[in-house]
Amino acid sequence: METTISKTTAERPTLAWLRQNRGTLAVLVVLLLLPFIIAIIDGQSISSVLANESGNSKFFQGLLIEIFILGLFALSYDLLLGITGLLSLGHAMFFAVGGYLTGILIKSFGWGLVPTIAAVTVAAIVQALLFAVVLPRVKGLTFALVTLGFASVFHIVVQSREAAPFTGADVGLQGVVIPAFLDPVDQRLRVYFIALLITMVVYFLYQRFVDSPTGRVCIAIRENEDRALMLGYNTFQYKVIVLLISSLTAAFAGMLHTIHQPIVSPNIAGLGYMVIALLIILIGGVGTLSGALIGAAVFRLLDFFIDRWFGEAATFLLGVIYVLLVLFVPFGIVGTWRQHSSQFTHQIEAIIERLRPKKENPE
Amino acid sequence: MEWLLENRTRLLTLGILIVLFLLAISGMPAEEWVITALRGLALGALTFLVAAGLSIIFGLMDVLNLAHGELFMLGAYMGWTIYVRPDTVIDGATPFLLIASLLVLVPLLTRWVRSLTLPDLVDKIWPWVGLAAGIGLLVFALFQYPLSTWDLENYAQSPISNAIAFETGTFQSPPPAEFEASPVLVIGGVIVGSGLLALAAAGFSARQTTLRQPSPTQMRNIAIVSGGLFALAFVVLAINNPLTEFMLGLGSTPRFFIAMALASVTGALLGWTIEVTMIRPLYDRPIYQIMLTLGLGFIILELVRAVWGRPEFQMPRPAVFAGTGEGCPATSIGDLVQYQCATIEVLGGRVRMYNEVFIIIVGLLVLGAVALLLQRTRLGMIIRAGVQDSEMVEALGINVRQVFSQVFALGVGLAALGGVLAGPSLGLSNGMGARVLLLALIALAVGGLTSFSGAAAGAVLIGLLQQFIIKYGQIGINVPFMAEPFKPSPPLVPASSVLLMVVILLILPQGLFGRKE
Repeated sequence: METTISKTTAERPTLAWLRQNRGTLAVLVVLLLLPFIIAIIDGQSISSVLANESGNSKFFQGLLIEIFILGLFALSYDLLLGITGLLSLGHAMFFAVGGYLTGILIKSFGWGLVPTIAAVTVAAIVQALLFAVVLPRVKGLTFALVTLGFASVFHIVVQSREAAPFTGADVGLQGVVIPAFLDPVDQRLRVYFIALLITMVVYFLYQRFVDSPTGRVCIAIRENEDRALMLGYNTFQYKVIVLLISSLTAAFAGMLHTIHQPIVSPNIAGLGYMVIALLIILIGGVGTLSGALIGAAVFRLLDFFIDRWFGEAATFLLGVIYVLLVLFVPFGIVGTWRQHSSQFTHQIEAIIERLRPKKENPE
Repeated sequence: MEWLLENRTRLLTLGILIVLFLLAISGMPAEEWVITALRGLALGALTFLVAAGLSIIFGLMDVLNLAHGELFMLGAYMGWTIYVRPDTVIDGATPFLLIASLLVLVPLLTRWVRSLTLPDLVDKIWPWVGLAAGIGLLVFALFQYPLSTWDLENYAQSPISNAIAFETGTFQSPPPAEFEASPVLVIGGVIVGSGLLALAAAGFSARQTTLRQPSPTQMRNIAIVSGGLFALAFVVLAINNPLTEFMLGLGSTPRFFIAMALASVTGALLGWTIEVTMIRPLYDRPIYQIMLTLGLGFIILELVRAVWGRPEFQMPRPAVFAGTGEGCPATSIGDLVQYQCATIEVLGGRVRMYNEVFIIIVGLLVLGAVALLLQRTRLGMIIRAGVQDSEMVEALGINVRQVFSQVFALGVGLAALGGVLAGPSLGLSNGMGARVLLLALIALAVGGLTSFSGAAAGAVLIGLLQQFIIKYGQIGINVPFMAEPFKPSPPLVPASSVLLMVVILLILPQGLFGRKE
């Protein structure tokens, strides 16, 4: 105990934090520079990148923005499923509400960006509370079915003829005019940096949350809810908190999606889109947080290249990859890596322990 | 009295549902509500065929099989192929049986592989080499194999025009396909390729540390099955042309029943294979089973899209239920038998024999058969006990896991049967699986997740609700304070049943007929 305290006081907290997250920070720096690096490799000048001229750099910025959005969406799902152990099949609704609301408010009502953000926040809180109302009554698979029910109703309503003037029915919401300073075509570099920033901030906040006492209780709920209850934790309260955080993140991911795409298709409200989130955290590793971001990158790039190389058969191959992952790599990239690295460090520690001369106990 | 108090919420909910049903009936003339109710029951019967399997599988092994809808769809497409293009099925049977006969041998080969002592490096690499070589050879040989089939690129030979030609009676099967390469080489390629595949699979499974050794009787049975399949493959090859002619010469009615039987059996075999190879390793990780079945659903969907194409088409109705013209619509049973009418007259309205009578009869038969199986046989007793408490059953010395494969096969077989039944009434489309899965899940949730009778009741409830809402979408509901009657648009129909599920689950989390935990 003594030693750990002296260690933390010897080093300033900021420094310690920087040291702990040096890997992530390095990735952040690389991502900040990536548009320029691609431009240099491609023989484009830096000024043309800053002026958002078309080229490989701009194309990859678009791809990366999509990865960030998917990553945020998967992160929010990982918090529900991987950390708290709540199986919700209605997660696409969390995302689609943000996406549709942004599109409708900007297009049909001509709202500015700030009131839209406020409205999306309110909507996210409301839908999280809607899910929370159900929570104490239904557990486990019944909860999954009820959430699936909510999401299907939303999906059906969005696609219905009655809602066509606002949502564009099954064609989707088109022609959303994004404010000029966030225009996804003319100001892509700015959108790229904003999306990167949001993703990184959310990721660090999530990590902080999981390490906090509240987050620890959430993990306890995943492991054994009855036991957490018996220890005196009001598990319902913690689940509501998690639902709120998850819903807010997903809704803002949906908002970013609308800003980046200017088109909202009803597909994002369907079960298929939730499966994408599931696939991503499965690729990255369930309950690892960083796995959600890595999984999003792997998924999007895989999707992109498989689509380019195999065309029609792409979905089939993705399905096969998915099943193989479930059967043979259940811990995902990050999970498997952690397992092996911990084995590795254990071995090294054991060797060091053996080499160290035996000392008398100070007590 | 106590029972009444205990179940007051349940009774109240049922009462409200009955009142709503009576209200819905009172809004339209008698012949209309009879037809609507029959349609609802038919849709309920189809939903029940899917929900029954889902409910037993979920109750017994806690696996929510999200691929069940796509398996229903696969059953429909398989049924269509057997019904309209038996020549393709007979052509494809030989290589399929050959591959199956060799893959069945995997447990025997595993035993043999384990007794080998190989150098370390060879031991590590050879299954991968065998896998690659086997797949390569198999793909190569199968592309050479003659198969008279449809052509997705060419409209005149696509499944749609096949179906239309069959319905109008102008369908002519293409000339039987001939071997272009030497038959010995192609068939030898299939045998050697699948043999390599089986060896590789044995190599992989031999690495598992916990492996159950098959008993001598099991080994003998495996050898007999394999030999039988192998011989059957060559029998089918030898009588290929006469068999094809016989099948094409049969009337459409016997062929439809053959399609129903064959598709259910194939579905059951497929279900058995899925359980043994994919679900069995995952019993310790429940959430991954849901994910696996989701992925499986996508694979099946893409397979169907690749083989049968994306456009929707209809399965032609068998001749018994397709008669029109003289004496139709039938007014008596005698007329019905004599003229084989497509429709009969009930209370002045026309009821379609296939869509609204035959499907309900099959649904009732299956309901009775499965109920008998559950109540009167030893297997049924084990299943019922396993649903209640599988640990206790295992403690009594019964191997529950062995029952799992049989139950999974039964469930998928029923779904495939439902698919074939749905072909002539709902049509074949890529979306039918997802639609019926949603309905079946709702039926399951409404009726109580693990209760078989609940699944049946839920399916009927959902079917009736959907059809009545569709009907009211045509005639409109008179809502107070609105000048024009409100007409729910077709996409809102599924939404209504989803809402019903949500409401019922909120009032009764264990469903209408489920037991309290």
